[in-house]
Amino acid sequence: MPLRRARPLTRLGPVQECYARHMMWRQQLSRGGGYPLAVGAVGIAALIFFPLRGVVSAPVVMLFFVPIIVAVARIAGTKPSATAAALAFLFLDLLYIPPYYRLTIASLPEWIGLMVFLVVALISGQQTGRLREREQAALRRQAELELLNRLTFRIASEYSLAATAEYVTGQLTVVGNARRVALYRPDGAGNARCVNSSGESEPATEEARFAEWVLTNDKAVGPEGPSAEPGEPRVVTVSQADALPGVTADAVYLPLQTVDGLEGVLVAQPVSPSGFGADESRLLISVANLTAAAFERERLADEAAHSQALRETDRMKTTLVSSVSHELKTPLAAATARVTGLVEEGSACDEARVRSELEAVSEDLARLDSSIGDLLDLSRLESDAWRPRLVAEDVSDILGTALSRLPRLHAARIRFDLSPDLPPVSADFAQLARAFVNLMENALAYAPADSSVLVSARSEDGAVRVVVEDRGPGVPDAEKARVFEKFFRGSASSSAPAGTGLGLAIATEIVRSHHGTLVVEDADPVGARFVMTLPTAGADSD
Amino acid sequence: MTDGAPERHPRILVIDDEEQIRRALKSVLQARHYEVDTASTAEDGIALTAERTPDLVILDLTLPGMSGFEACRQLRGWYEGPVLVLSVLSSDSDKIDALDLGADDYLTKPFSTGELLARIRALLRRASPSASPVTDIDVGDLHIDFARRVVMLRGESVRLTRIEFDILALLARNAGRVVTSSMLLEEVWGPEYVRDTQTLRVHISHLRKKIETPGDVPRFVLTEPGVGFRFADLEA
Repeated sequence: MPLRRARPLTRLGPVQECYARHMMWRQQLSRGGGYPLAVGAVGIAALIFFPLRGVVSAPVVMLFFVPIIVAVARIAGTKPSATAAALAFLFLDLLYIPPYYRLTIASLPEWIGLMVFLVVALISGQQTGRLREREQAALRRQAELELLNRLTFRIASEYSLAATAEYVTGQLTVVGNARRVALYRPDGAGNARCVNSSGESEPATEEARFAEWVLTNDKAVGPEGPSAEPGEPRVVTVSQADALPGVTADAVYLPLQTVDGLEGVLVAQPVSPSGFGADESRLLISVANLTAAAFERERLADEAAHSQALRETDRMKTTLVSSVSHELKTPLAAATARVTGLVEEGSACDEARVRSELEAVSEDLARLDSSIGDLLDLSRLESDAWRPRLVAEDVSDILGTALSRLPRLHAARIRFDLSPDLPPVSADFAQLARAFVNLMENALAYAPADSSVLVSARSEDGAVRVVVEDRGPGVPDAEKARVFEKFFRGSASSSAPAGTGLGLAIATEIVRSHHGTLVVEDADPVGARFVMTLPTAGADSD
Repeated sequence: MTDGAPERHPRILVIDDEEQIRRALKSVLQARHYEVDTASTAEDGIALTAERTPDLVILDLTLPGMSGFEACRQLRGWYEGPVLVLSVLSSDSDKIDALDLGADDYLTKPFSTGELLARIRALLRRASPSASPVTDIDVGDLHIDFARRVVMLRGESVRLTRIEFDILALLARNAGRVVTSSMLLEEVWGPEYVRDTQTLRVHISHLRKKIETPGDVPRFVLTEPGVGFRFADLEA
């Protein structure tokens, strides 16, 4: 089994990229709700100004504190900035403006100044915080739109179900404020199978159970029951306690509904302990609907392709069965007839006759065996179950192994003329050996019994050209293309030992999978010349 | 056979679950003067091997109950003789698995009688304890003298490197038998090299350039795709 290359991670759109970066950076800075940031920023400023007590007047320091408080609001929001304002106020009151270590302040102007500072700091913090929230909401809305747009686009285009699943989970974790997102699909046996999941947390042990419950009951499940506020999107219709009593998990389970039924379940676990907000819920519902549509389209496309393949296979099978039953039955019938004849004659027949009959039987059986082998090979090649593993191989080496597979008497009739420095070709050794065996057997079958078959190989630009030439009757022009078709037996075949008419078809399939060509020409003066070209290793664009 | 010594016919045990194959092999082998025992399951086969000590075991891989692979592994624990594996499985990995578990060679069903007998002869020839160690062999135009480490081709001496000679010697001593790439690497370089098949292929190709005829296909050292190499049978 060839190693599958790891797929690139889900690509984000430009807006989502920006949003994701923004969120990461903010998350880093506003750990602990942003309060450590507030305390830290004010603390550092306090440490800087404290030694300047009595040198720099209080209003100047207040001026410095305002932008710090605004920055905290910008990064962590309104509440941490209010905290920062309060801390700055306390620092100024207790440590900077005399009398020290008391809340009272000696002079009234300074008292008024400090109060003004507090009000200004609080108001600018609040304003900045609100601005930040609006900005974030806009960014989120944009990222959501981008996600929905792309999902819509996917519904109309050719994507695999797995790729869409990966896309949805990857995107939702970024845009939907979800700690974990997973997609489940019914596996046909009544169980839910996880198609893809992303995010940082492990699946809850009950995840699959809830997913199965949703698949059976077609209702969304969440930590709390239906959200009752008017105008809010109703994500959850059943609370987890009602669905599976005694089992709790904090994720939301949405059925992927289409007109015709259920395509799966979308599981999303919120980052915040209070669950998904109204916007996030709206996004989840849209994504669930679009994913359902995409899944349905991909499933139907798969089914259509599958039934097309089935019809094709059926047609193939009918052709196969009719020609094969003939191909297999003929030698079997012949062998059976000869053997039963011998058994009936018993001791009445002489040794020479027994020997000749048995030789004939052994030929019949050899034919039967090669027919079965051909059929198996062809079906494996056609079903792609015999994918070539292409590596650099030496043509003369493969020809040598192919030769050793022929009966000795036949092998002795083959002459080789290989150019000494053939470049390696990119080939699957066993398969190409099989193709060579078929070409040589074909040539031997049609050539006069005492003539030899010539196999030569030359290098031409970017390819190796292997030629198998016989002195048989040759292939008439009208049959030059058809000779490679399945079960086609040329007009000359009456003179040749019977075959399945599959050998050349198999060789053609093999050469095709090697990105090579195989044609037949007229040999000079008589006979057929089969010409195979194979790309040299490293020359093909694969 | 040395004259004067009583002629002992080699004893072969056939383990196969198909009645028809057992009967056919029995009559074919008995006609060539082998003593033949048969068993239809791996368990019976192992018991018979212990009881009769055959000179060679022919083992089918697809058996009911204990698989041929498992039987092969168990036999290798204590049975000294060669094991020839029969399989309908023509995939490389099955051949390799069986050879790695200690089988000495394999045949893919259906096989011709001639092929089977050639494999049996090659295996018995190598395993026979009475045979004095082979000091030199002749195959076609090639003469290999193991004792003096000399290789002659059509009367001309061929200069081989130490590694090339070791590869050729190992293959030729096992003429007619498949030798897996990992066996070659282990014997010639040592156990730490068992994965470096690329190096082996390079040396094999140098060896072929020196002993095979240019313009012709290899006649002495044949490739068994996905498994290893086989030296042309002495009796070819």
